[in-house]
Parts: sequence; structure tokens; C-alpha cells
Amino acid sequence: MTDPTTTSTPAPAAPAPAGSAAAGALEGEEPSTEALEQDWRTSDLPGLPGDAPFVDPGLAVVEGETLLHVTNLKKHFPVLGGLLKKRVATVYAVDGVDFDVRKGEIFSLVGESGCGKTTLGRTVLRLIEPTAGTIRFGSADVTKMKSAELRRLRSKMQIVFQDPFGSLNPRMPVSDIIGEGLIAQGLGDRKERDKRVGDALEAVGLRRDYTRRYPHEFSGGQRQRIGVARALALEPEFIVLDEPVSALDVSIQSQVLNLLLDLRKDFDLTYLFISHNLSVIEYVSDRVGVMYLGQIVELSSSEELYRSPRHPYTLALLSAIPDPDPRRRRRRLVLKGDVPSPVNPPAGCHFHTRCWLREQLGDPEQCVAQEPELREIGPGHRVKCHFAEQVSPTKAAEFASAHSPVEMAAADA
Amino acid sequence: MTAQGSVEEIAVTIAERPAGTPPDESILLDVRGLQTHFHVMDGTVRAVDGVNFSVPRGGTVGLVGESACGKSVTALTIMRLLDIPPAEIVGGEVWFDGTEILGLPEDEMRHLRGNDIAMIFQEPLTSLNPVFTVGDQIAEQVRLHMKVDKKEAIDRSIESLRLVGIPSPEQRIKQYPHEMSGGMRQRVMIAMALSCEPKLLIADEPTTALDVTIQAQILELLKSVQARTKSALMLITHDLGVVAEMVDEIVVMYAGQIVEQGTAEQVLTAPTDPYTMGLIESLPNVEKRGGRLSAIKGVVPSPFNLPPGCRFAPRCPYAWDACRTTSPELVPAGGPGQRARCLLHTPAGAARRAAMLDTAASGGATAGQGA
Ligand SMILES: Nc1ncnc2c1ncn2[C@@H]1O[C@H](COP(=O)(O)OP(=O)(O)OP(=O)(O)O)[C@@H](O)[C@H]1O
Ligand SMILES: Nc1ncnc2c1ncn2[C@@H]1O[C@H](COP(=O)(O)OP(=O)(O)O)[C@@H](O)[C@H]1O
Ligand code: SF4
Ligand code: SF4
Ligand SMILES: [Mg+2]
Ligand SMILES: [Mg+2]
Repeated sequence: MTDPTTTSTPAPAAPAPAGSAAAGALEGEEPSTEALEQDWRTSDLPGLPGDAPFVDPGLAVVEGETLLHVTNLKKHFPVLGGLLKKRVATVYAVDGVDFDVRKGEIFSLVGESGCGKTTLGRTVLRLIEPTAGTIRFGSADVTKMKSAELRRLRSKMQIVFQDPFGSLNPRMPVSDIIGEGLIAQGLGDRKERDKRVGDALEAVGLRRDYTRRYPHEFSGGQRQRIGVARALALEPEFIVLDEPVSALDVSIQSQVLNLLLDLRKDFDLTYLFISHNLSVIEYVSDRVGVMYLGQIVELSSSEELYRSPRHPYTLALLSAIPDPDPRRRRRRLVLKGDVPSPVNPPAGCHFHTRCWLREQLGDPEQCVAQEPELREIGPGHRVKCHFAEQVSPTKAAEFASAHSPVEMAAADA
Repeated sequence: MTAQGSVEEIAVTIAERPAGTPPDESILLDVRGLQTHFHVMDGTVRAVDGVNFSVPRGGTVGLVGESACGKSVTALTIMRLLDIPPAEIVGGEVWFDGTEILGLPEDEMRHLRGNDIAMIFQEPLTSLNPVFTVGDQIAEQVRLHMKVDKKEAIDRSIESLRLVGIPSPEQRIKQYPHEMSGGMRQRVMIAMALSCEPKLLIADEPTTALDVTIQAQILELLKSVQARTKSALMLITHDLGVVAEMVDEIVVMYAGQIVEQGTAEQVLTAPTDPYTMGLIESLPNVEKRGGRLSAIKGVVPSPFNLPPGCRFAPRCPYAWDACRTTSPELVPAGGPGQRARCLLHTPAGAARRAAMLDTAASGGATAGQGA
């Protein structure tokens, strides 16, 4: 209900009356920049409490031993065409990604559809073979593993799939769905397996005696629990959760989120959590990587990312979240055009075709000529933008006030 | 835009209007006692079970609730787009612009659709014809409802695409739907819906299939065209953030019934029905970090096996014996014009509610006056 800015401000200082900024915009008057800044600084823009200090020294960088270490990971899919099914183009689904996941943390990937989250999550487990790069899990190099080794590793690294309806085999009873992995790992006799299946069901809040039922007998939330039970049965250390709550209604979403957080505590789990829902990400994550067209464009602790975002894309994402408090209707920063195709990502900075900051800076050539690095701009805060130092809520407010939202969206991309 | 006054008016009209008489001039759409059932193999689904609400001229009303609560069926019944059978409109009246439209002959209804009432759907690909260019489809729509020649219809199509922020519309009208992204197709749908300047636009989950930055574009677009054309908007969504941003009045549905209605501010900041409260409380946000979310326990009841008494009772943290036997009516609760379907707001529940408010005052859970 409330945004992060109001937590730090004792009195949610006179929330903008419904319609102040919005109504102004609707009637076609341009609200003054001053008024906008006022709005953005108090309670108007989630995550942007004003020009926060560049780096907040009080913010703890999450400490801990590295469990997963991913370097320059790439996954390129061929697009086959013609009679001979030759490669006619390449989908740069994941295109040079670096990040660490620390033991016990929830590291999240957020981004729009098609930006490569699922591909990245699956490649990390080598359910998809990487095109390039290395993945280390603890001291082991996952990229070099042979299949027997990989199979053993799978008991430590598990995944819960995106779609609770499509990811469970409709012809298998729950006992087989959950027990499958145990059999593949050669774990336990029949009795031992049944016990572990029952334990896993109980851990996710389902009844032990559901084992003989089939997926169609369960609701969406229950199916997602079965997916989680399947991952848990192998007693893993690390789980990739690919959009675990996206297909669920809010009331069920909160049940499953509570479950996932409880399980993490009870079983000392580490999560790679994938979602496009920014409110869910903010609630669960320790650290967050924001993805755009196959790359991480910003990476930092969750607090810092939501309080002091530094990539122009992250600002636009945060500004796009609809706020369930009608008293806080506000003017927002709207991106122009659509996400470009990952078949032909734009040269230089992949974001340059939609970037409001670049436009504001007078279209510097560097954005097109040179790909920015994901560089550290403060402890634990990395941004892939040549001009990250110039990003600020004030700049964003200036931009938003100079254009109507429909104008911003329509600009030729 | 519309303030609490209009809700009070609506409350009055609900109380006063006898069947068969048109509502007040200021009301564009008036849905009364609407009941739509589906007769299927397993039995009868009472998808919409006695729904009453109004949309003022130029006003914005949001219909919210979780999946299968009856939002789309309500809209499709109003539009008369359901297949009968399996659907059956069992009862109720729908007054649009002074006329009862459930009883209208099909040809008059067809004239109304597209001219005076337009609808946009969740998945724009399925509602555009794949074998015609988008230009042809908009021009066709325009020609069907306005007496203009082909050339002018095309000019109008280009203009309406420009209006919804599609760059180089002269080129775009030659494209087929599958050549466009989801956001682009939704813009085309909005362009088509608005090309005839309808009095009412019904949008059923118009951004649910879209990414958040594209959703932002579409919502801003809807707001600006709605304000310019002064069309009324009935927005259907499960996203409380989207309604908060878009509408003045909210109708919350659960298991085929309205459980709460009021202004957006009343319903979202001071909900009075336990289901609405539960929905709002279960939204994740940063303040709840590190703690558990307050989830609504259990699941939505099967439409074939609705619980007796209050349909929310099996999941309601405040339920008591009476809730399992008495079906609550929508009664005044909270602010002016606000209504809730909950026994706590009836004389029978008054003592309990008072006790809860006392606990709330001393720091316990709240009911009645919301969070
Ligand atoms: N097997 C494949 N062959 C070719 N292209 C693929 C394949 N799998 C994924 N892609 C493409 O790679 C890109 C990234 O896809 P991915 O599924 O990882 O996105 P995502 O971020 O998970 O999206 P969503 O939010 O929709 O789940 C997309 O353009 C997708 O179409
Ligand atoms: N064509 C149909 N045949 C049978 N049942 C239907 C049909 N359309 C909808 N229903 C049922 O009506 C109820 C309400 O559905 P709907 O209005 O689509 O929900 P939502 O609120 O998600 O839009 C659900 O139980 C649904 O299964
Ligand atoms: S490098 Fe240029 S185009 Fe890319 S995000 Fe920064 S300012 Fe925008
Ligand atoms: S009537 Fe009873 S069960 Fe229903 S919402 Fe009110 S308190 Fe809960
Ligand atoms: Mg995905
Ligand atoms: Mg629906």
C-alpha cells in the first residue's frame, strides 16, 4: 500500500491529493517542474525519495561466502531458416552476464518479457548449454562438468518452473512428480522415497496423502506448491525460482511467498529469484540485478536499487509501477517504443533507442559508438551506463515535466 | 473528477429506482440485479449473481477481484456477447443512456456496440482479424458507424493511430496484426474502440498481458483519451494498482457478487469488507520486508459448491456462527456511499465490530474501518 519513501518520512506529508499532478496533466496543463519535484520528493514516485546521497555508507553490502559465481555468461540461440535450416540469424538471449550469489541470500533478476531471465536461470543449471562463460558453484566449475557429475550436482541445485500449469506432467501422480528426481539420483528405496515425498508435501503445506492425485485436481497455488515440493525433495542448497508467483492471484501469491521465505529459513536455502513484478522483488530480495536485452544493466542491494536507482532504465521501471494508493496519483516517466528484438540488439548501449537520459543530454555519440561496462559506482552498486553519475530523480522529473506521457511513449524509436 | 457526491447519488438511485424505470439522467450505465448463469455438465455456475452498479456519464468505474469472480461475464453480459446457451441471463436490467438494453433486438444492439459502447480485451491478437491489415480493420469500423467514404475512413484511421501514439501511422496501417508487438496491438484496439467516440468504453484487463513499461504507456494513453473524449470508462482488472490509478469508483467482486463498492480512496485506503481488507493486506511491499505477508487463507470456493451463508466465511478471519447461515446483503459501511457485503455492518454484527474497533484502538487487528 505504501511506498518506501513514506516509511522514512514520519508524516506521509500531505499525500498529493488525488488528481493534483494527474489532473493537471489530463487537462493539458503542464505542471511546473517545481511542483513535480515537490511531488517526486515527498511521496510521489516510488523508490525515488529525491536526490539521495550518491552512495549511502550506512547501507550494508550483503556479506557472505559466494555460492554461485557467473562470469561473462552467454547464450545465443540460432534462428534457422531456408530449406537447409541454416543459421540465418542469432537471438542474443543472454549476452555477457556477470554476477555472484552469496550463500543464504535471495538474489533476484527483474526485467521485461524476453529480456533473458528464464534463459539465464536455466543456463546457470546447465539445463540449457551456455554458448560462452563460466559458472562456478562452490568450488566446482559447472561449465566443465561431465553428465554424471552434473547429475549429482542437480541434487544441490534445483529449479521451480515459470508455469504451474504447464510444468507438471498431467499423466503423473504427485508421488511420481516429486519422486522422479529421487529415482534419477538413485536415492533411497521405495519406503525411504515415499517418506521424503510425504515430507516435501508437508513442508509446502499440502497433505501427505495427496500423493495419489494428479495435477489437474489442484488449484494454481497448490500446483506451484507441488513444483516447490519437487525441488525440495532432493534437499538442495540452491533453488532457481522462475516467476514462482506470477500466475497466481494476489491472495494465493502471498501464501506462496510466505512459504518460500519460511522454507529458506528452515532449510538454509539460497534463491535465485526471477520475476517481472517489482513489488514482489522489493519485498523478497537481498540483492537485485535488472536485466535489459540479455544483459544486467544495474546490480545492487535491493534497498539501494529502489532508493537510489542509477540506470535510466531502472528509473523508468520503478516509475511504471502502479501504486495501489489512489491519493498518490502522479506523473510518470514513460519510455518510448517497445523493447527491441534480441535478434538485432541496438549497437553500443542496448538501451539507447529508448533512453530518456540520452535524449536529455543531447544524444551523445558515445551511447551508440561504445557499449558501456557494468561498472562499480559505489560499494556493491554496479551500473551499465556511461552517464550513470548524471542520473537523478530531478533529471527524471525535468524530463517528465517537459513531455506529456503520451508524447514520451510515442517518440519514434 | 467525480467526488463522493456522485457515489451518494448512486446509493440513492440504487435505493429508489423501481424495476422498469430509467435511472437519473446523470447515469450512463445502470446495472440492476444482474444474474448470468452458465449451464455446464457439472451443473450451473452462477457466474454473476445479483450485481448492481452504475457508471455516471464521463465517469470511471473499476471492477476488481481475483480470477473467476465474474468480472468478464459481467462485461460480456452488458455487451450481449455471450453465447446463449450455455449462458443464460436469468434476471436483471441493464440501462444504457436511458434504454434497457437486455431486451433490445439484436440489430439495435449491434448498432450500439461500436457506436456507443466499445470494448477492448485482454489479448488484442485474438480480437483483431489476422488476415486484414490494421488499417482496413479500423477503416471498416469507422465506415460501419459513420457515414464517410473510403478515403475519409482511411484518413480517420491514420488520425486515430496517431492519437494513440503509433509512430508513422501511414506505414503502420498497411501492417498485419502479427507484425506488431503486444503493446502496439493494444494501441490499435484502443484506436478502433475510440474511433467512433463511444459514450462508454469497457476495458477488460487491457494491460494484463503487457510488460510494466508498456502497461504504463497504455494506461497513460487511456487516461488522456478518456479525458479528451469524455467517454465513460469501465475498467476491469485484478490489479489494485491499476484501478487506483485509473478510476474514481471501485466495485469489488467475490464469487459472483459485489462485496464492496465506494470511491477508489474509500475502498483502497479504508476498506470495510473483510475480503477487500485481505486483498489489500496481502500485497507485498517494502514495509513488510522481513515479516510475513498477511495472506488470505484457503482458496476461492468452487462455483458448484458455494458455502452457505457468506461466501467468504470459510476464509474470513472474522467469521462467526451467523456468517455460516445468513447471506449478507450489501449495506452501508464506512464513508458516504460506501457499501459492504458483511454482517459486521448489520445490527447483528454491531457488537462484534465495536469490540474489534476497541482492540484495534489498543493496537490489535482492525475490521470495520480498515487499515
Ligand atoms: N530455444 C530458443 N530458441 C530461440 N530463441 C529462444 C529460445 N529460448 C528463448 N529464446 C529467446 O530468447 C529471449 C529470452 O527469452 P527468455 O525466455 O529467457 O525471456 P524471459 O526474460 O524469461 O521472458 P518472460 O518474462 O516472458 O518469461 C527471447 O527473445 C526468446 O524468444
Ligand atoms: N463460456 C463459459 N462457460 C462456462 N462457464 C463460464 C464461461 N465463461 C465464464 N464461466 C465461468 O464464470 C465464472 C466467472 O468467469 P469470468 O467472468 O470470466 O471471471 P473473471 O472475473 O476472471 O473475468 C467462472 O467460474 C468461469 O469459469
Ligand atoms: S549509456 Fe547512454 S543510452 Fe545507455 S543508458 Fe546511459 S545514457 Fe542511456
Ligand atoms: S459476513 Fe462474516 S464471514 Fe462474511 S465477510 Fe463478514 S465477517 Fe466475514
Ligand atoms: Mg521467463
Ligand atoms: Mg476475465
